[in-house]
Amino acid sequence: MKTIPPACPGPETGPHYWRSLDQLADTPEFRDWVEREFPAGASELTDPVTRRSFVKLMSASFMLAGLGLTGCRRPEEKIVPFSRLPEGYVHGAARYYATAMPTQTGAVPLIVRSNDGRPTKIEGNSMHPDSNGATDAHAQASILNLYDPDRSQRFLRSGSVITREAAWDALRQIGLPFSQSYGELGVAGDGAGELAAKRQGQGLSFLLTRKDSPSRERLVRLLRERFPKAGFYVHEPVDHAIHQEAATQCFGKDVTPYYRFDDTRVVVSLDADFLGTEEEAWLHARRYAQSRRLRSSGDEMCRLYAVESLFTLTGANADHRLRLPASQLPRVAAQLASAVLADSGLPGSQTGDFLAAAVRQSEGLPPGLLDPKWIAECARDLVAHKGRAVVVAGHRQPVEVHLLAHAMNVALEAVGRTIVFQDAMPVGEPGLPELARALNEGRVDTLVILDGNPVYTAPADLDWARTQRKAKSVVRLGYYEDETTQHADLHLPLAHYLESWGDARTADGTLVPVQPLIQPLFGGVTELEVLARLAPLERTNPYDIVRETFARYAGSDEEKWKGFLHDGFLADSGGRVVDVQFDWAKVARAIGQLRPANPPSLDRLELVFHRDAKVGDGRYVNNGWLQEMPDPVTKMTWENVILLSQATADALGLRVVDRNNNNLRTPLVRLEAGGYELTGPAWVQPGMADFVVGLALGYGQSHAGRVGQGAGYNAYQLRSSLSPHLLPGARLSDTGREHPLATTQNHWSLEGRPIIREANLAEYQANPRFAQAMNMHEPAENRPLYPNPMDIRGPDGLTPREKAHHQWGMSVDLNACTGCSACVIACQSENNVPIVGKEQVRRQREMHWLRVDRYFAGPVADPQMVTQPMFCLHCESAPCESVCPVNATVHDDEGLNVMVYNRCVGTRYCSNNCPYKVRRFNYFDYQRRPLDRLYQSPLTSSTRDEWELKRWFKNPDRGSRPHEEFELAKLVKNPDVTVRMRGIMEKCTYCIQRIEQAKIARKVAAGPSGDVLVRDGEIRTACQQACPAEAIVFGNIKDAGSEVSRLKALDRTYLVLEFLATKPRTSYLARVRNPNPQMPDAQQQPLTTQMYLEKNPPHHGPHGADTHGAGAGDGKGGH
Amino acid sequence: MSDVFPKWTNRLPLLLVVGLVLTGTVVVAGVWYYFTPKYTRVGYQPIQPVAFSHAVHVDQLGLDCRYCHNAVEESWFSNVPSASSCMNCHNQVLKESPKLELVRQSAATGAVIPWVQVHKLPDYVYFNHAVHVRRGISCVECHGSIHQMDEVRHAKPLSMAFCLECHRDPASRIRPVDKVTDLDWTWNPDPAIAAELQRVNGEKLVHDWNVQSLQNCSACHR
Repeated sequence: MKTIPPACPGPETGPHYWRSLDQLADTPEFRDWVEREFPAGASELTDPVTRRSFVKLMSASFMLAGLGLTGCRRPEEKIVPFSRLPEGYVHGAARYYATAMPTQTGAVPLIVRSNDGRPTKIEGNSMHPDSNGATDAHAQASILNLYDPDRSQRFLRSGSVITREAAWDALRQIGLPFSQSYGELGVAGDGAGELAAKRQGQGLSFLLTRKDSPSRERLVRLLRERFPKAGFYVHEPVDHAIHQEAATQCFGKDVTPYYRFDDTRVVVSLDADFLGTEEEAWLHARRYAQSRRLRSSGDEMCRLYAVESLFTLTGANADHRLRLPASQLPRVAAQLASAVLADSGLPGSQTGDFLAAAVRQSEGLPPGLLDPKWIAECARDLVAHKGRAVVVAGHRQPVEVHLLAHAMNVALEAVGRTIVFQDAMPVGEPGLPELARALNEGRVDTLVILDGNPVYTAPADLDWARTQRKAKSVVRLGYYEDETTQHADLHLPLAHYLESWGDARTADGTLVPVQPLIQPLFGGVTELEVLARLAPLERTNPYDIVRETFARYAGSDEEKWKGFLHDGFLADSGGRVVDVQFDWAKVARAIGQLRPANPPSLDRLELVFHRDAKVGDGRYVNNGWLQEMPDPVTKMTWENVILLSQATADALGLRVVDRNNNNLRTPLVRLEAGGYELTGPAWVQPGMADFVVGLALGYGQSHAGRVGQGAGYNAYQLRSSLSPHLLPGARLSDTGREHPLATTQNHWSLEGRPIIREANLAEYQANPRFAQAMNMHEPAENRPLYPNPMDIRGPDGLTPREKAHHQWGMSVDLNACTGCSACVIACQSENNVPIVGKEQVRRQREMHWLRVDRYFAGPVADPQMVTQPMFCLHCESAPCESVCPVNATVHDDEGLNVMVYNRCVGTRYCSNNCPYKVRRFNYFDYQRRPLDRLYQSPLTSSTRDEWELKRWFKNPDRGSRPHEEFELAKLVKNPDVTVRMRGIMEKCTYCIQRIEQAKIARKVAAGPSGDVLVRDGEIRTACQQACPAEAIVFGNIKDAGSEVSRLKALDRTYLVLEFLATKPRTSYLARVRNPNPQMPDAQQQPLTTQMYLEKNPPHHGPHGADTHGAGAGDGKGGH
Repeated sequence: MSDVFPKWTNRLPLLLVVGLVLTGTVVVAGVWYYFTPKYTRVGYQPIQPVAFSHAVHVDQLGLDCRYCHNAVEESWFSNVPSASSCMNCHNQVLKESPKLELVRQSAATGAVIPWVQVHKLPDYVYFNHAVHVRRGISCVECHGSIHQMDEVRHAKPLSMAFCLECHRDPASRIRPVDKVTDLDWTWNPDPAIAAELQRVNGEKLVHDWNVQSLQNCSACHR
């Protein structure tokens, strides 16, 4: 489906605006207007005032078209074809382009769908050698940032708007004094020495973000050559370079680790949230899921041990989880390392003093924090799986913990098998503290900040807003006009990655292109262009820069370049795996320097800062999809909370109030540490280490835009540059006030209901059909009010089941699902699902078609957590259908439970009758009203001095959202899915648009033949497509050979609430835990199963001798 | 009392009832007739900016529909040709004709030609051209004898009932795929024989091609 894009400049004639403002330009009135007023075209406009009125006028022209020409018939509409058709362009057919989203340490390879020139959906590039076509929630949601009305749209100098040319000129002026030609210009210098130094870039400093882009690397190298005395600094609020630094330190080469979890049998995570907030988590999730994939009860599976202080997704997925203050983790790591080394049989002559050093470091752990047997058995398990085990250390931990982890990996013979090391560019550029020192010493004349928002993300002790001002001039390239813009002299708007040329390397080192799908909507510029203009280079066009870099990899062959853009990667350009030699002596010395920290206590709490699962380090704060996505663990939306364990909250005398689900309020508390303080809502997170406080970064921005404004507290206020991830010695006090919160699932447990079914591996091996054994009794008199529509014979004597070519079904593997929630955003993006705002989420009116249910089981102090994606299960005997008074929800022949929006009158009976609670009702016109004005009556309110009623009369389609916001919001919509209005019920459709498109494509290809069966795998629903763990599989269950049919035939398959006889088409595969029976915390059965058995004690009726082993009980009898 | 109510008021209830029934009937009949696509759409014939005649191009000159509407077999949308397509011929034929001034301008400068849309389905209907023309449903079924029109006219109601008529009985309309753009084509010159052949061959084609013209809501609404 991918096609080679047209050359970079758009077609010379024809609807030029389609590439930028798209179909907005469809009316001739508008076109006339544009031609008269702005001959240069929309993408050239730089004056924001003009731009705003431009958008207004555009809508005015729509109005004219709507009103002026209306007769009794529908308003006359125009078809405006191209005047010269671009070659290969097919109107109405979606096109797909390969590109990539750059991340801190790599990139996510992508295929992006473009509908008539506007990007509408992001998907992973499954052709890429290190991708299965999956993405993470951030990549899925990043498309919304493209259409963010609050993004930076203007060039600013000292707060006033300038043109793009003026900005380029200003850049040149900045580069000029430093450049070689300065003297030749005849400017009289005061001192020759000073001039010479200036020429070399003295006083010029760059603040960059971390990125793995060969083109940027090349430009920076060029700049370094040109300005040898210039300073280059790198700032990442949550820096993951420590992985490479540690590997480099212990192996003596510039190498970066690459984990092959798919090949592991035992994984130990030392505070490494590799399934959640670590970099490349989507990649790890795929490999980890492979290591746990079960086709039959005879299969082996991986076992995961996690040691952590917060409750992360990795801990939630672990078979054994040890909660521990993060500060005490180095000691535990040392204990584990000494145990592994002692067991591994490595000769002492090889390891030298390492063992002694590790033993020394492991001492002093306060008693009661852990059972020593935990470490001993874990170490034994690791050694028993030599060569198939791996130890991972997290970015929050000091480098010594990483060294210990690598020492264990070497001892476990993991290197080269489950972990490999690839050569990498050196890291270790100075960071923000060094730049602060240079600024304070007056060594920086000109500071160039490329991307990032340091005024917001800098640690509190650097007082960055004031420090930054010490440079004589500050140039800033940013995506928003944010905190840093307020303290910059020159601000340039940054282009979105879907608007820019660039390149990147993915985690495995493969070169991938960053290819634009649209002209910059608001004239943004790329980092490459700014660097090139500063240098200054002759060629400043980012396209030329990227091509030149590419030529160094693969030559200047045009076909190669085209292939690169088409495939979205350069084949065989992956990183070189290098042989590494572990330096035991050096590591022994290094870990000897670790200073033990005191364990936290009630008046010396330990703060742990973590990247938020939704807004990241703050860059997605204005993204409505991510703001409303429930946090995978806390299920909190629209803000961050101060996470405490139950014991800590009790000791502090805090009561997290939960009056009822609709009115959740929690105490607002004050945190003080190191002379700084913040206030935020407290929240009890089960399973957290005691006296540890979890603080999510990224919220509480003062210039966040209309979505993120006022969301959460700013955790950066407490951060220290010396210890950015952990901060001991904090105090917490209650302010006496309360704060309302919006969390989407307030269930603490399943209360014994077998909605999620789990077993331990041993139990599964003994009783492969344990999941069905938990089925509840169907009522004896099981006669549904209405017959199953799939079994009603038509006039031709056939049932739909027999007649239709396809019968759709889905299988969800709970053993693979990590709870990452990428599917939630993918569904939202594909199906035009609106966001509703915090106030509405508090009323449980969120519109997500797909939710990821999260349940805890067991003690609050240390529970087990399970996740389950839940969406419309497409019951055959759907309870919703029989209660609809207007036949708005009906069955189609292929087994889909379809929703007919036009018939729906909003009685909500269907939702009341749905046992799975998957139907969503549009209480308001969320698509057309601003979230803060949902309740305002159209009769009495006014927008911008225009009465709503009048506005409505002029154009009933627009709604009361501000014009530019509404026009931009339209662009992200999927044109193949109806946008629902107020008063309509909606729900998961199994991505009906994708089903129909695949069927149509097959029929079009078939032409005059009968070959109309859709092949297996041709339809991938949005959630399936996004899932890195491949937990969701969709397909034709009528075809016994299809993947979904094979999965449904597995012994772990069960139906949720099967005793209701709803016959859902979506089935689940039960989860299997793999605890080590030798471990002190090993449970006989998963805690959810224990709860279930407590609630439904096995009775010894006729079913007593049923297939159950290992005490699973047959579990029948619950009603 | 007779002073208060004149005698004719005795008939008032009857008059009221009759009047209401009559009004009701007229309103219902009016809505029935005038508010349907059969009335509101059929016959719609706006004046186009360029006096393009399908009759000349198709009927007289014998151009295939797909020469201009080239994407009809690939896309849900049957494209209106770009000015450059027109100029493929008209840079040779009728080079100076004033009727073609707009087309020449468009091809030269990029100014667009605002054609007036004639056939339009509601936004919640996801009609797909490609799958119909590739599976033996001719243009004529929905657009009427468009090849004989000088100015395009809305010939069929294109209402949901209209769609369902064929979806319930595709055999009555289906034809060989290579005859789809041959709008005058019939199975036989004699209408009676043609109808019989349509029935027999139609059913065979529906069977052989595995045609399932779904009547489910999901077939057209998403």
